[in-house]
Amino acid sequence: MNRTLRFQIFRHHPLDPQSQPRLETYRLEESPGMTLFIALNLIRAEQAPDLNFDFVCRAGVCGSCAMLINGRPGLACRTLTASLPETITLLPLPNFELIADLSVNTGKWMRALSERLETWVHLNEEPDIDRLEAPMDADLAEQIYELDRCIECGCCLAACGTAQMRKDFVGAVGIHKIARFRADPRDCRDDAAYYEVIGDEDGVFGCMSLLGCQDFCPKNLSLQTQIAFIRRKLARQGWKKT
Amino acid sequence: MKLLYTDVLIIGGGLAGLRTAIGVKRRGLDPLILSLVPPKRSHSVAAQGGMQASLGNCAKSEGDNEDIHFADTVRGSDWGCDQLVARMFTHMAPKAVRELAAWGVPWSRVRAGVHEAVIHGERVRIQALEGAQGLITARDFGGTKKWRTCYTADGTGHAMLYTLGDRAVAESIPVHDRREALALIHEGERCQGAIVRNLMTGELSAYLARATVIATGGYGHLYAVSTNAIINEGLGQAIALETGVAQLGNLEAVQFHPTAIVPAGILVTEGCRGDGGVLRDVDGYRFMPDYEPEKAELASRDVVSRRMVEHMRKGKGVKGRFGEHLWLDITVLGRAHIEKHLREVKEICQYFLGIDPAVDYIPVRPTQHYSMGGIRTDYRGESPTLRGLFACGEAACWDLHGFNRLGGNSVAETVVSGMLVSEYVADFCTSPEGDIQLSSALAREFLQREQAKLSRLLAATGEENPVALRQQMEHIMMERVGLFRNGAELQTAVDELRILLQRAENLGLRSRQPAANPELVLAYRLPKMLKIALGVALGALARTESRGAHFREDYPERNDRDWLKRTLYRWPESGEPQLDYEPLDVKQMELPPGFRGYGTKNIVEHPDTKARQAEVAQAQQRAPDRFALQEQLMPFRHLLPERYRKPNERLHEPLP
Amino acid sequence: MKPLIASPWSARFDLLQSLSGLFLALFMWLHMAFVSSILWGEKAFWTVARFFEGYFFFGRSLPWLVSLFVACIAALIAVHALLALRKFPASWQQYRAFWEHRQRLAHLDTNLWPLQVATGFLMFFLASVHLYDLFIAPEQIGPYGSADLVWTGRTWPLLLLLLFCVEVHGLIGLYRLALKWGWPSFGDPQRTRRILRRLLWVLLVFFLAMGLLTLGTFISLGIEHAPRAGEPYVPSGMQEAL
Ligand SMILES: Cc1cc2nc3c(=O)[nH]c(=O)nc-3n(C[C@H](O)[C@H](O)[C@H](O)COP(=O)(O)OP(=O)(O)OC[C@H]3O[C@@H](n4cnc5c(N)ncnc54)[C@H](O)[C@@H]3O)c2cc1C
Ligand code: HEM
Ligand code: HEM
Ligand code: SF4
Ligand code: F3S
Ligand code: FES
Repeated sequence: MNRTLRFQIFRHHPLDPQSQPRLETYRLEESPGMTLFIALNLIRAEQAPDLNFDFVCRAGVCGSCAMLINGRPGLACRTLTASLPETITLLPLPNFELIADLSVNTGKWMRALSERLETWVHLNEEPDIDRLEAPMDADLAEQIYELDRCIECGCCLAACGTAQMRKDFVGAVGIHKIARFRADPRDCRDDAAYYEVIGDEDGVFGCMSLLGCQDFCPKNLSLQTQIAFIRRKLARQGWKKT
Repeated sequence: MKLLYTDVLIIGGGLAGLRTAIGVKRRGLDPLILSLVPPKRSHSVAAQGGMQASLGNCAKSEGDNEDIHFADTVRGSDWGCDQLVARMFTHMAPKAVRELAAWGVPWSRVRAGVHEAVIHGERVRIQALEGAQGLITARDFGGTKKWRTCYTADGTGHAMLYTLGDRAVAESIPVHDRREALALIHEGERCQGAIVRNLMTGELSAYLARATVIATGGYGHLYAVSTNAIINEGLGQAIALETGVAQLGNLEAVQFHPTAIVPAGILVTEGCRGDGGVLRDVDGYRFMPDYEPEKAELASRDVVSRRMVEHMRKGKGVKGRFGEHLWLDITVLGRAHIEKHLREVKEICQYFLGIDPAVDYIPVRPTQHYSMGGIRTDYRGESPTLRGLFACGEAACWDLHGFNRLGGNSVAETVVSGMLVSEYVADFCTSPEGDIQLSSALAREFLQREQAKLSRLLAATGEENPVALRQQMEHIMMERVGLFRNGAELQTAVDELRILLQRAENLGLRSRQPAANPELVLAYRLPKMLKIALGVALGALARTESRGAHFREDYPERNDRDWLKRTLYRWPESGEPQLDYEPLDVKQMELPPGFRGYGTKNIVEHPDTKARQAEVAQAQQRAPDRFALQEQLMPFRHLLPERYRKPNERLHEPLP
Repeated sequence: MKPLIASPWSARFDLLQSLSGLFLALFMWLHMAFVSSILWGEKAFWTVARFFEGYFFFGRSLPWLVSLFVACIAALIAVHALLALRKFPASWQQYRAFWEHRQRLAHLDTNLWPLQVATGFLMFFLASVHLYDLFIAPEQIGPYGSADLVWTGRTWPLLLLLLFCVEVHGLIGLYRLALKWGWPSFGDPQRTRRILRRLLWVLLVFFLAMGLLTLGTFISLGIEHAPRAGEPYVPSGMQEAL
């Protein structure tokens, strides 16, 4: 006894002067194990050949397929239709430049973020790769890996009320990245340097603790803890500075 | 017309492309990266297992070195690889891991003291090596003598790709993502860049470059189901092929993994079976012991995969909406074990199947996993026939893997080849040959050609539906060019693919949108994919032997006498696709052909093998140490860029 | 994203906002303790009121002490409100973006924020009136004086509204403070949040109940005293002394 799903999908082609933003309805018979990846591909194959959406890994690891699923951000590839009601509304992530339909330009945004926050290990000197590597505590390595797991999907931004209002807000993804590099002893920056990149209203002090990020991050990163941590460190830094 | 100039155009933003770009930039040249998707979304991000490098830090890798890694790699390739390349690679892998370590990859580290591990189902206690605490540790992987696979928990590819992606930003390397290279610009035998389509706006531009590097990954999605990212469609190989000049090597060498979930094709780790999980058929019957009484589910990857297909062919598969599959049963392991040791598997089951593997069986089937074949290059990564065109990573047939790649060797290959090829590319660019006048007239000609093709497609009203044709291609590849191959099926596949290629000239599109238009994208990619698919089928049909992942039911033996050679596939501009062969020289091999050690020995020897084996044995007796022996058998160091020639330090091999 | 000129004031403003909020919230707890002393009887409230006029230190009432204190609190509120103003939606677009987001997401912590903004905004006016009353006539604070102001002076509707505003605003504010700075925490972040939320509801109910009871007592006292409105309370012991 399969359900017939009713998809309401946002359609708009910003480059086409004739296109108007609208919701279009598609019907599809549900099958066991159907994910939104499968469903959208079927819709494209059978009903809407020009429907744009982004999937790459279709395994929940690359962060390409985030969209608003019944209003809430999530990875479409790993969302089973069985977990949703019969009517499923799909919208592109807000915050990002719309390419077409469900496809948004997260890559551009993330690159700008990376440039702004300088999200790389700042080295004191180039390593000698012929020699033994510098040792690192096993627990610390695990801790850094835990902080490194962000997939830049943008769900945290789509779930953040602050980010809706302030387009330049770096969001949980940005603050969390600073936490990742700060935890890494290989990065030679100190708090004064981190303050320079994230100590403002578009950075950590812009966050209003709305915690949508924490609740919708598909990787379950401990965003709440890390944001609070960075806030404490940088508040101290800002207070000291004369 | 939009024209862009850069020193080095790098097509592909995965691990291989990123590392190449960084290397080129560090040599003072201007690289530019093109990618279908933001680089960090490339397929490389999905690698979980790890990266092989003979660091020898952990207890179970004590005494490891380049020689052992080299021998494992050559054996793994079923002697199909280029041994010089394998040598360069194994020498470089430790340097690559250490460089990544310094740049930020949080490699898992050695813990001091005694800890427990499960080896072959038995609990053992392992004492960490003296002085190794905090150094990079390694795990066990199939086909290796030592524990050699460096990893970061379960996200090695992710950690590596993000580190390199960030490094590229740090070095201000421009990335043009959501761009697709449609065609290479070349004048005769000299490549000069590519025609590029902006996937967002539909606009075409010409990117002119002194050297062009293709690092576009594999061609897994010629198959209906693959563990690869869905953008791995063989496009890089196709644009090289379409020059009519460049050659592709060993396309028929395609690896299958036994347990990917159905229908999504997402990999579930070998650990499931390692820990005691079993395979069951439609009747719930455990069938593997019937086929492989000794090793059952734990036989090597290709063997298990073949047995599974064999069993499904007997009608014992489970039929579902998404085709046939078998069951992987790990309920026997118990909930506690699954939730502690197989968390990843549990999550995959939960998210993609909506099942609980502690009570439900997991639907699995053998699935395309890796492309050993690709753009044929020399050890420098350059196409021997099209100057100025380089390739690396999974896209290339640099020929590290021969007919079967070892787990953990491919992410290692991406980075190592990126390090090496970037040096050779830079050498090339700074040589007189690299210093050419790039021709804008030529660029215009190619651009117009591509534009015309697209315009034709946008106006096309033929009756063929690109989606349907693609599905047929995928189906043919799955059914006839899969794990088990035989002459009749392959011939049918070749014939059918040719027909599809003809039908693909008569497409009809429903959408006329020139910008972001997935139907158009599929339509112009389809012939490219078909050409690569045909290459796989043709190569497989011609190769009347079984080697590594290429298994012919009608020719089950490995035939070194006739087939110790590399397939070369070329498609001249006007004319028919051609197969050529490039012999592997047994007399030059450091490790002469031998028995890989699976199943029964079934080899037709090469006439030179005996003599070479004797030579090698003799040298082994005379040589004072391993370095001297290696030098005598197959010198390779002089081929490396100067800066990478020094030996690797290890705990047991300190440098002065 | 625009490049950033980091100013230490971002950190300081953030800290000041939190500190002012924290101080005000804690003050309101004390305030509740003081005004609810009316529940213990007129004498108790009278004693508290005299206490603040310095009666027990100086031996006589100095109502301007109260005026001074009120002025300080008002100033603090002004500082807090000014700082909070930075977070208000700055334009109609921002307001709309947030509102649409809020509706889509259906997420508790996100919904608490507009509640805080709205109550804060209301208090801007309500608290001003209340403070103004106290500022100009500090001497009339006492069981009858206050009751008359509440009933005969018709401030009870204002105080009722203010009560809801201040409790909701203050408690959400404290909850947010804990999350924002990561203290206190109870094990993992999810658990911390669950506990804090429960605490938030419990305290909210408690303070509203206390407030209503107090206000009710003032009202009934006011009704009773209405015929003699304006007549101050004199404790029984004192009457004899006079
Ligand atoms: C599930 C899974 C697990 C794996 N695990 C391991 C492991 O544990 N260890 C290991 O060693 N290997 C593993 N592998 C293999 C390994 O991940 C890949 O071989 C390797 O990552 C390939 O990297 P690459 O840089 O060559 O290509 P990719 O990462 O595939 O990158 C290709 C790039 O090319 C771009 N591109 C493609 N076509 C075009 C075009 N026409 N124009 C412009 N850009 C283009 C894409 O956008 C992309 O950026 C695994 C593979 C799979 C499928
Ligand atoms: C009278 C005018 C007031 C206004 C306009 C106002 C406004 C605000 C706003 C908008 C916030 C949210 C700031 C943010 O999310 O970062 C806030 C936070 C807060 N407010 Fe008020 N408020 C006022 C009065 C009060 C009073 C009287 C109290 C005491 C009960 C109080 C206690 C708090 C607390 C504890 C916070 C949390 C501080 C933080 O997040 O840093 N506020 N206020
Ligand atoms: C120094 C500052 C303050 C003093 C001395 C003070 C004093 C009083 C007094 C005497 C009362 C009794 C009724 C009356 O006289 O009106 C009262 C009631 C009340 N006050 Fe204040 N107050 C102060 C600040 C505030 C502030 C800042 C707020 C809220 C923003 C506030 C909210 C209330 C409320 C809601 C009541 C009603 C009683 C209740 O239900 O608890 N007060 N206050
Ligand atoms: S923090 Fe989480 S939600 Fe945000 S981008 Fe990273 S993975 Fe996605
Ligand atoms: S949702 Fe936004 S406001 Fe802060 S806590 Fe998360 S970044
Ligand atoms: S497609 Fe990669 S996360 Fe969904």
